[in-house]
Amino acid sequence: MKNQHRKRLALTMGVMSVAAAVALMADSQPVYAQGNAPDLAAMPESKPGNATMIELGKYFYFDNRLSGDWGVSCASCHDPKKGWGDGQALSAGYPSMEYFRNSPTILNAKYQKRFLWDGRLDGSDAGTLVRDMITEAHTMNMDGRLMQERLKQVPEYDALWKKWRPNDDINGMRVFNVIGEFIRSQETTNAPFDKFKKGDESALTAEQKDGYALFKGKANCVACHNGPIGSDGNLHKTGVPEHPDVLKNPSRTITMLRHYATSGMPNYMNARTDVGAYAITKDKRDIGKFRTAQLRDLKYTAPYMHNGTLATLDDVIDFYDKGGGAGSELKALNLSASEKKALKAFLISLSGDQVEVKDPGQPDMQVWKTYGKN
Amino acid sequence: MKTTTRFTLAAGAMLLALSATAAEKYPALGPLPPPPIPKDNPNTPAKVELGKKLFWDNRLSGDGSMPCVSCHVPGLGWGDGGQISRGYPGTKHWRNSQTVLNSAYYNKLFWEGSVTSLEAQAPAAAGGGVAGNGDDSVMEMRLRFLPEYVTEFNKVFGSEWPRVNDAWRAIAAYQRTLVSDARKVPADRYATGDKKALNDAQKRGMALYNGKANCIACHNGPLASNQQFYATGVPDHPQFKEDPVGQVTHRWEWYQKGVTEKDYRNATGDAGLYYITMNPKDIGKWRVPSLRELKYTAPYMHNGMLATLGDVVEFYNRGGGDAQNKTKLLKPLKLSAQEKKDLVAFLEALSMDEPLLQDDPKLPGDYQPLPAPTSAAK
Repeated sequence: MKNQHRKRLALTMGVMSVAAAVALMADSQPVYAQGNAPDLAAMPESKPGNATMIELGKYFYFDNRLSGDWGVSCASCHDPKKGWGDGQALSAGYPSMEYFRNSPTILNAKYQKRFLWDGRLDGSDAGTLVRDMITEAHTMNMDGRLMQERLKQVPEYDALWKKWRPNDDINGMRVFNVIGEFIRSQETTNAPFDKFKKGDESALTAEQKDGYALFKGKANCVACHNGPIGSDGNLHKTGVPEHPDVLKNPSRTITMLRHYATSGMPNYMNARTDVGAYAITKDKRDIGKFRTAQLRDLKYTAPYMHNGTLATLDDVIDFYDKGGGAGSELKALNLSASEKKALKAFLISLSGDQVEVKDPGQPDMQVWKTYGKN
Repeated sequence: MKTTTRFTLAAGAMLLALSATAAEKYPALGPLPPPPIPKDNPNTPAKVELGKKLFWDNRLSGDGSMPCVSCHVPGLGWGDGGQISRGYPGTKHWRNSQTVLNSAYYNKLFWEGSVTSLEAQAPAAAGGGVAGNGDDSVMEMRLRFLPEYVTEFNKVFGSEWPRVNDAWRAIAAYQRTLVSDARKVPADRYATGDKKALNDAQKRGMALYNGKANCIACHNGPLASNQQFYATGVPDHPQFKEDPVGQVTHRWEWYQKGVTEKDYRNATGDAGLYYITMNPKDIGKWRVPSLRELKYTAPYMHNGMLATLGDVVEFYNRGGGDAQNKTKLLKPLKLSAQEKKDLVAFLEALSMDEPLLQDDPKLPGDYQPLPAPTSAAK
């Protein structure tokens, strides 16, 4: 009895000292800490994910059988060739529907604190993000159980799965986690800014360095766009104008109001604007707030903002120069033309090589001869 | 005392069974009464008209491709004419699409009797993963962007905006109007006194139905169904063994019914009523279907495995197929070729002279932008 108590005590102390050590290590990280001014950071050295999961996840990512009617795959709206978005202002969504927000890049998901434009999902859980996209009626409209049985019908998938989990069948949440692992493995590489941050002064031009100074100074972008991917992961209101097509095209209004209805938002039939985080929090102060977008790989991810209303980086800079739109938290910046140009040049230095992943193709479903044992 | 009564009853029943007029112990065939209308969903002409539109409206499905009418086609006996219902794109169903004609009279719907009202059947089909795959909240929101529906739902149900549950009520009300017209059914005309309504072959067939072939044991009453569940040994559809997508559906359906993973991975075949009762004695049992409108509703059985009425009669002539829980009511009938022909002739006389057809309704056009909010209070 006493012995056990002692053991427990020792364990607790051990855990505490580990925690303290972790805290100390965290303090010694170059990423901005309490009291320091926020800054951008280089992309951290990342631990590679589980290779088998990533390989499987890549197949699943491109496989249109993960949607209800085989109409779309993850890659339809998050296409590697289009910056892992879809290049449209507003995303298409599931066949017969049209979505009311922009399809964001999935790059650097590993470093997101929150997922989705209204920040409704936790950034540490990519599997849940994938589940949401696959099972939501207006994105992939897939029954999770039907999905797992479809995948089970593909012998190549079954074999790969067994390599990863010998005693397990392809099943729901693990499928989502596998795709999450693939998504988390895609990140910005070779960005000039990262080389600069790691000591290569020549990696940025003089103009880009000026832009960086503006970013941290006069333009104060850094207040929200900080850390390795240039996002504080918080919700802010910048007053981006509504995309007119959301009301003009009823198919888009349908998905918007339906999202509000299923989120339990009060008075949803009277909504005529994108209320952002409010639909989730029901706190009026959150009306019109959206998650701070990352600034990585902007070169490939136009158009910008939660509804794609800003077509180019120049438009984005002009927008912030004016202090954002109606109801914005921001102030006007009064940047000169050359300052805007420098800022843009700097923003582009945060983009890396184009991250390309080829569609591995879709192995066919086969009949299981072992009917009754699968 | 009690024992004696029971004995007498049993003896009486045996005598009846032995007598040539076995029909007497079963409710007779005959014209259908008006269909039962639930108190909480009265039929009104406006509701029926709305229900008809909704039955045809593709927007009541996941990707806008699977309205009710896509598997319940008037010109195909209000089924889809195939063995197995076509199912949602990318899937296959696993059972035959039943006619909706006279479905108003069933106390349980679907082949295994999984729901107890048409109001509950409609959403199960429109939302089922291998059927309509529609999401309730999406379908409801779509209806709200069609001003014609907004007006009609308001008129019929009094709601400010269409509600998806009211859509199912309207569809159920519409289906209660899809019933056989006794004036057009030879067997019904005969039963109400028109002795010329059946020809000699049909009359001989009727005698077989009520006697030697004993169809009446299960197919009795005006609906020609006692609405009970029996195993008759209809073989499984080969898609479970031969088609990858069919195998997906087979496992998925088992899983849907709430069995363990071990059970559904080891499952072979469609277990029917077992899914409802989870009693092994109910494996392979199906609800007795009505025999009305058979002329228009081939192929037959829960999985369409029998192509013609001749095949069905032949199947029962052999005493049905193999099944662990096969009903003792089925025994080889030893019908002659002529008798089989006569029986088919009578079965066809349970259908209307002309199929019940309907033209497509005029559906509301494209989605319309919402009007400005009426008041902040709503």
